Amino acid sequence: MRKIKLLLKQHVGAPCAAIVKPGDKVEKGTLIATPTGLGANIFSSVYGTVEEVNDQAIVILPDDEQPDRYIPIKKSDNKLDMVKEAGIVGMGGAGFPTGVKLAADLEGGYILVNAAECEPGLRHNIMQLEQQAEKTVRGVEYCMEMSNAKKAIFAIKRKNARAISAIKKAIANKPDISIHLLPDIYPMGEERAVVRECLGILLGPTQLPSAAHANVVNCETVLRVAEAIEDQKPCICKNISVVGKVHGGPEAQVFMDMPVGISVEDMLEKVGGIDGEYGEIIMGGAFTGLPTTLEAPTTKTTGAIMVTVPFLDLHGAKVGLLVCACGGGEARMRDIAKKYNAEVVSVTFCKQAIEVKPGAPRKCENPGNCPGQIAKVLEMKRAGAEYLIIGNCSDCSNTVVTCGTLKMGLKIIHQTDHVMRTIHHPLYRHLTVSKTVDQDLSEF
Amino acid sequence: MSISAEYALEHKNDPAVLCCRAEAGVVLSEHNLEDPAIFDDLVESGLLKLDGAVTIGQAMGATLTKTADSLTPLTPDLLEGMKDVEEEAPAAEEAAPAAAAPAAAAPAAVNGGVLKIHIDEGKGIDLELPIGAFAAAGTAGAVVPAAVAGAAAPAEEAEEKVIRTLTRKHFKITEVKRGPETKIEGTTLYIREGIEKECIDSQELVHDLKIDIITPAEYHTYSETIMDVQPIATKEGDAVLGAGVTRVLDGVVMMLTGTDDNGVQIGEFGSSEGILDENIMWGRPGCPDKGEIFIKTQITIKEKTNMTRPGPLAAHHATDIITQEIRVALKDLDESLVVSTETFEQKRHPHKKKVVIVKEIMGQGAMHDNLLLPMEPVGMLGGKPNVDLGNVPVVCNPLEILDGAVHALTCIGPASKEMSRHYWREPLVLECLSDPEIDLCGVVLVGSPQINGEKFYVSRRVGQTVESMDVDGAFVTTEGFGNNHVDFASHLEQIGMRGVPVVGMSFCAVQGALVVGNKYMTSMVDNNKSEAGIENEVLGCNTLCQEDAIRALAMLKAQMAGEAVKAPEKKWNPNVKATNIELIETATGKKIDLVPNEQSLPMSQKRKEKYN
Repeated sequence: MRKIKLLLKQHVGAPCAAIVKPGDKVEKGTLIATPTGLGANIFSSVYGTVEEVNDQAIVILPDDEQPDRYIPIKKSDNKLDMVKEAGIVGMGGAGFPTGVKLAADLEGGYILVNAAECEPGLRHNIMQLEQQAEKTVRGVEYCMEMSNAKKAIFAIKRKNARAISAIKKAIANKPDISIHLLPDIYPMGEERAVVRECLGILLGPTQLPSAAHANVVNCETVLRVAEAIEDQKPCICKNISVVGKVHGGPEAQVFMDMPVGISVEDMLEKVGGIDGEYGEIIMGGAFTGLPTTLEAPTTKTTGAIMVTVPFLDLHGAKVGLLVCACGGGEARMRDIAKKYNAEVVSVTFCKQAIEVKPGAPRKCENPGNCPGQIAKVLEMKRAGAEYLIIGNCSDCSNTVVTCGTLKMGLKIIHQTDHVMRTIHHPLYRHLTVSKTVDQDLSEF
Repeated sequence: MSISAEYALEHKNDPAVLCCRAEAGVVLSEHNLEDPAIFDDLVESGLLKLDGAVTIGQAMGATLTKTADSLTPLTPDLLEGMKDVEEEAPAAEEAAPAAAAPAAAAPAAVNGGVLKIHIDEGKGIDLELPIGAFAAAGTAGAVVPAAVAGAAAPAEEAEEKVIRTLTRKHFKITEVKRGPETKIEGTTLYIREGIEKECIDSQELVHDLKIDIITPAEYHTYSETIMDVQPIATKEGDAVLGAGVTRVLDGVVMMLTGTDDNGVQIGEFGSSEGILDENIMWGRPGCPDKGEIFIKTQITIKEKTNMTRPGPLAAHHATDIITQEIRVALKDLDESLVVSTETFEQKRHPHKKKVVIVKEIMGQGAMHDNLLLPMEPVGMLGGKPNVDLGNVPVVCNPLEILDGAVHALTCIGPASKEMSRHYWREPLVLECLSDPEIDLCGVVLVGSPQINGEKFYVSRRVGQTVESMDVDGAFVTTEGFGNNHVDFASHLEQIGMRGVPVVGMSFCAVQGALVVGNKYMTSMVDNNKSEAGIENEVLGCNTLCQEDAIRALAMLKAQMAGEAVKAPEKKWNPNVKATNIELIETATGKKIDLVPNEQSLPMSQKRKEKYN
């Protein structure tokens, strides 16, 4: 293991302030940075010596010996204080401080456990449920208690039979906790999609789940809550899927409890490195992840590191971009067009992808339900596009494909194509599965 | 794209087509339905067949029996629990003797930048409107002539009232020569030798000025881009613009041309430099007529000032020194030399439909400016640049416009810009002025600012001005295309939202397709004359002509009579105009002569390249 780099901002809110200096010896669980506003404590994830402290990060040179034990957080009767103390943030990718989220009084409402593992190719969430269902369920109960929720629902795709059966067993005598099965389409794990699927309430793009008396909590976050309360464990570990063009790939290789701040390169080394020529390395999923470098550190929100096959060369072909809230923003879509060696002649936005704040990622008005795309397709065709690069959800991608795009002589590339080719996952084109899922659990 | 509930209701008689995949068992709502506004394009390109499709009204609330994908037309076999929509009561049929048009259109609404038309039962009405950002082309409009011709005479025929009179005395010029002083002898105009130096010295930015006398024998010579064409006219005595007597020279016009020091044309979107007789659309309101002599100044201004305000303005100032000397000579000319007299009367017709003309003029700065209401017809002195006036609406009377109230610097984008002479013979003003069926109350000039915020500032003033006039109808005209269409559309909206029927006039066709739209843009006249529907860089080709004025007036009358206007075709189609002209000719019994276009001119090299 090379250096550990702990970013001072790995959560929604303001960057933390470092409370260590170069030369300080640290252990697993040593508090090294504290919030300056909205934020969460940051702890050292290794034994070692602080090498550098700058505006962005604290760099730690790890010791050769890395015992399992860690400095426990302070014991308290107030569970919420322990969650806050542990520095837990939403681990599904959003990074909202969990202690703040769970402080909301849901007035007898719902904890919705997000186990959709929506990004194709990832595996660590489902594997966690298969292996640690009971502890995860206890985490859910703590969350219910802290948020004053009467009920909890696991939102999980029907295809994950083993995980479903593990949860089912763990909640056997817990009538307030249930399972809601999701179809295997993207983006079922979007926060408001989870609320809509489980509760039948469609929230507006600027509304929080609390408007439906609910909190959506990622399943790994729930587990870390249980660890904080039962084991006094600070948030120093992250489960990560390493996927793609690596030795031992392309299926996801899951690494549980990796030290937060470990570099991309170290993670790739764990699988034997990149296998030959590659296109790009993505931190996060195929839809919402961003290209990264070998030196980049992981954070509390890193779920995956994906290495893709090389990009096709479009030899300067004219492309139109259909930007959606489900995939990358305009900058990411342009980045992909550049990697395909294509010239962008038109940029359009899905009708439902609303810009809620200037500069912030767009949000979909009704995640996963297409509003029609042909007008956008025609617009791009008029602009002279030969190819369309789309970042849409399953339903919208289906619309683009079926609305005559091919007859118009347009070729379609989905933002995730190079990843899907890498992991032998079907490309996002036609939608063949139903959005309605049989909720009968008897077979699990 | 999916539509709103309100929009679905408006379009309840249009075909129902899925906008995206819908699964069996779904109860169909507006969220599942594609916008009918785009069907024409899709049908045309073979992407969609509407045979057997039920209407939106029938499909709403029905249950889909089979999972189907986007662009599936909903046919009865796919639906369960379909509603029966009651038949629309047929509209009263007897009225219109005009060629039966299949349907009349009514209020249009904009949804996501696309202009939507609601079709109801009706008869004999044509409407063409350019679609916003989405359309490949803007189009021209049509009317119901029946309503025009058969309009009932009011019970009491009120007296018409002459507000003011303008007399033009014409003096003939057959020869222009240089001489020791500027004077007119008989029909010969002499221009003082050496006047060029004074012109150049008067303006710091003018580095050179040449005068060429272009007689018909010299028409086939090269010229730099034409910046303006101006009548040579002067007021008699103390008369102000728009009243009293104006003296004007026939057979001769001032023509400004020029470049900067580096030879860059003083033009923006295209320029008209080239062989004169290949680049001038003879006889357009703003252009020279064939046979006229041009006093052509070729001005060289300081390098890189061609796209600034002071550069082109200096060129106009320098040229006006010559024009002003001729005006002085013209003032003293003996009355016996008057060859003809023309009288314009501004009459009010109380109890007739009160109408206002809003003319959008360019006000972005640089050469996009106009000096308003100078002392002399198309003079410089006393004129206020509309840019400096903040481009806010300035109300003129129609005779002021015809008397040279606008000294135009907007001479580039040559085919669609209105030169000074255009206002001197403005066809819409002339047409309205001479029509006893309407009551023309005034002409509002409004500049088109550069910045969007300012565009909406001035358009709101236009709306307020028109509101306070209590008119029954309004025209909005513009010159050029593109940027100015933003405020052009906004003017139409500001007037339309006050419940005033409004007709818009602009060059649109192919190249000038509107970039914006709103639901009040239902009655539009396209000023295009060019064969291909483009800015062909032939001076004045696509400007407002009498044939456009006739169409617009007929359209406004139809609208004011409560008639609706038919929906446009998706793509610009010159036949629409031809059909409309025919309808008007049939209804009025008057032949409308159409002006020729660039095809009547010798083919220039530039045009050859453009059209191939």
